[in-house]
Amino acid sequence: MKIRIDHIAKIEGHASFTADIIRGDVKGARIKIEDGARLFEGILRGRKDEELPEIASRICGVCPVVHNLTGYKALEKAYGIQPDETSITLRKLMMLGQLINSHSLHLFFFSLADFFGYKSDLQLVNAYPEKTHDAVKIRDIGNRIVEAIGGRSVHPITPVLGGFRKTPDILKLKELLTDCKKTMPLVLKLGDLFTQLKYPAFHRETTLVSLIHPNEYAIYDGRVKAGKLIFEPKEFLLLVKEFQRVDNVVKKTKFAGNTYMVGALARLHNNFEKLNPEARKFLEKSDLKFPRYNPFYNILAQSIELIHCFEESITLLELLITGEIKISEPKILSRTGDGVGAIEAPRGVLFYDVRARDGIIQDLNIITPTAQNLANLEADLEEFEHIEGFNGLKKEERIDRIKMLIRAYDPCVTCSVH
Amino acid sequence: MEFLTKVNIGDFRLAEELPDVKYYDIAIVEGTAITKEQLRRLKIVRKKSKILVALGACACVGGPQEIKDYRGNKNQLMRMIYPNIRGIDNPNVKSVKELVKVDLEIPGCPINKEEFFRIINELIGGKKPIIEQKPVCEECIRKNKMCFLLLGKPCLGSITLAGCGALCPANNFPCDGCRGPRKGINLEAMKKALKYKAHLCEDEIEMIMERFGEKNEYIKASKKI
Repeated sequence: MKIRIDHIAKIEGHASFTADIIRGDVKGARIKIEDGARLFEGILRGRKDEELPEIASRICGVCPVVHNLTGYKALEKAYGIQPDETSITLRKLMMLGQLINSHSLHLFFFSLADFFGYKSDLQLVNAYPEKTHDAVKIRDIGNRIVEAIGGRSVHPITPVLGGFRKTPDILKLKELLTDCKKTMPLVLKLGDLFTQLKYPAFHRETTLVSLIHPNEYAIYDGRVKAGKLIFEPKEFLLLVKEFQRVDNVVKKTKFAGNTYMVGALARLHNNFEKLNPEARKFLEKSDLKFPRYNPFYNILAQSIELIHCFEESITLLELLITGEIKISEPKILSRTGDGVGAIEAPRGVLFYDVRARDGIIQDLNIITPTAQNLANLEADLEEFEHIEGFNGLKKEERIDRIKMLIRAYDPCVTCSVH
Repeated sequence: MEFLTKVNIGDFRLAEELPDVKYYDIAIVEGTAITKEQLRRLKIVRKKSKILVALGACACVGGPQEIKDYRGNKNQLMRMIYPNIRGIDNPNVKSVKELVKVDLEIPGCPINKEEFFRIINELIGGKKPIIEQKPVCEECIRKNKMCFLLLGKPCLGSITLAGCGALCPANNFPCDGCRGPRKGINLEAMKKALKYKAHLCEDEIEMIMERFGEKNEYIKASKKI
C-alpha cells in the first residue's frame, strides 16, 4: 500500500509525504518540502553585516525574532562584542514573547484539533469558543511583548549590534506586567487541558539536543547538550553534517552520523530542573517522565514551556520596571572574524555560522530547527508500525496518525528552506 | 475573531485540511511563486477569483529573495548553498502582478494589521479601497530637525509609500522601503541624497534599493524621466 499526503495542513509552509507500507512495515518514509529556494545564505554574502539580521528576519513570519537575534549573536561572537545586561534581559524577554506567540499558535490552532478529530480549526473554534478566546488572548501577550521591545510584533527593528537602538516605554512594560499576571490563570487552564490529553504511545530512542545554561532554563544562550555530551555551539557544528538529496530543497542534518531531535521536548529533557515553580508543578503532575522518546509529548512539553515563559516574563518585567533601563553604546573594535550564534527558537535550537571581513559578510550558514528535525522525523515515521494498533487502522486513520506525528514536531517548512 | 463571523474562509491551509472551494470572492496571495507548482496554483487561484489581492512585500515587489537576480550568476549562488542543484527551481523572482492580474496590493514587511482589515472590510462592503499616495516622511515623527537623511543616515522614507505609521524611524531605524515606492517619485534625487547626505558609493546605494525588490511600476516610471 502506498501512502501519499499531498499537502500537510496546519504546519508553517508546504510539505508532502510519501511512504510504502509493505506487509505492515512503513518503508521509505519521505517528507518532501514544496517551498521554493530563496537563497538567503547566498544573497547575504557581500552585503553589510548589519543587514544580515534585518534581512534574515524575513526568512519567517512566525519566528522572525529568533532569526534576527541569532544573526546579531553570531556577529557579536565574531567581533567579540558583549552586550550589556539590560540589553540581554530585553532580548530574553523578546524571546519569551516569541515562544509564547509560537507555542500558543501551535498548541491550540495546529495540534488540538487532532486530538478531537476536527479537520478544520473553524470547527474547533465553534466547539470551544471560550477556550479559543483564551488562546487568542495568550498569544496576544506574546505579540505585545515583542512589539513593546522590538518596536513591532513582526520583524523587530530595535535590536542592533551589541544592544538596542531604543529602550521600551516603561509604561508599556507596566501594562504588560499587569496583563501577564491577569492572563496567567488562562495559561494554567490551557496547561490543564494539555496535561489531561491522551498522547499516542510511541518509542524510538534518539539524541535530544538543546542549549543548556548553568543558571537558567536555556533559551537565549548556553552550550549545546546532545545526549550526555556538552559542546560549545561551534564545536557542536563541527560534528553536524548537512546532507541534501537530489530534488530536495532542504539540507537535513545528522549529528555524529545519527538523527537527533530538537525542540520543546529536548529542551525540557535537558533543562527541566531549571523550570519555574508553576511549570515544574505541571510537569510533575503530568505523565511526562524523562527520558521520554515520544515526539507526541513535544506538544505537552510546549504547554509546560508556555507556563514557564509566562512566569519568566513576569520576573523579567518586574526586574526591568524596578531597575534602571540603561543601555550602553557597545564598543566595536573590529568587524572581522567568524562566529556561531545559537538560540532556542520555538521549534528548537537555531544556528547562524557567519564569517565577516571589514563589516562585509563573506560566508553564512543557517541551520534551522526543522532542517535538523526532518531526518529524525522520517526515521520516526519508518518506525510507525510499532505504534500500538497501527496495523489494525484503516488507511484514512493511518494517514491521520502520520499527519498528527508530523504536526507534533511543529515543523516550520518556511524556515527549513531559506 | 470578530472578523471570522463576516467571512467564509475558502482555503487556508495553515488552519484546516479541507478540500478547496470552487470559487473565491476575494483571494489573498502572499509571497512569490518560485516553484513551478506554486506558479500553477497561482494561475488556478486567479481563474477562480473575482478579486485577487497581493499581500506583503514579497507579493508586491518581490521581497528580499529577489536580490539574487541582481547578484551575478544565480545558479552559481545556488551551487554555493546546495550540493545537488538538480531539480530545484531557480527562476528570476517575480512579483505577483508580473505573473497574473492583481486587483489590489497591500504592501509592507510586515503588513500593517489595521490597514489590512480596513482594506478587506472595504472590499467586503463593495468599496474600492485606496492607499493614499504619500511618503513615509508625512507620518514620520523625526521630520524636519531630526530627519535621518539630514543626519547622514540612509533613509528611504521620502520615496516610500506611507501607511505604516513610520514605525521604523520612530524606533531609531531608517526607513528601508519595505512598502515599496510611492507614485511620482524622483529616484535620481533620492540617489543623489544618499550619495551626498549619507556618503554612500553607488554600489551601496544599489544594494539599499534592491533590498525589497525593484519590480514596481513607479520605479520604472521614474527611471524613464
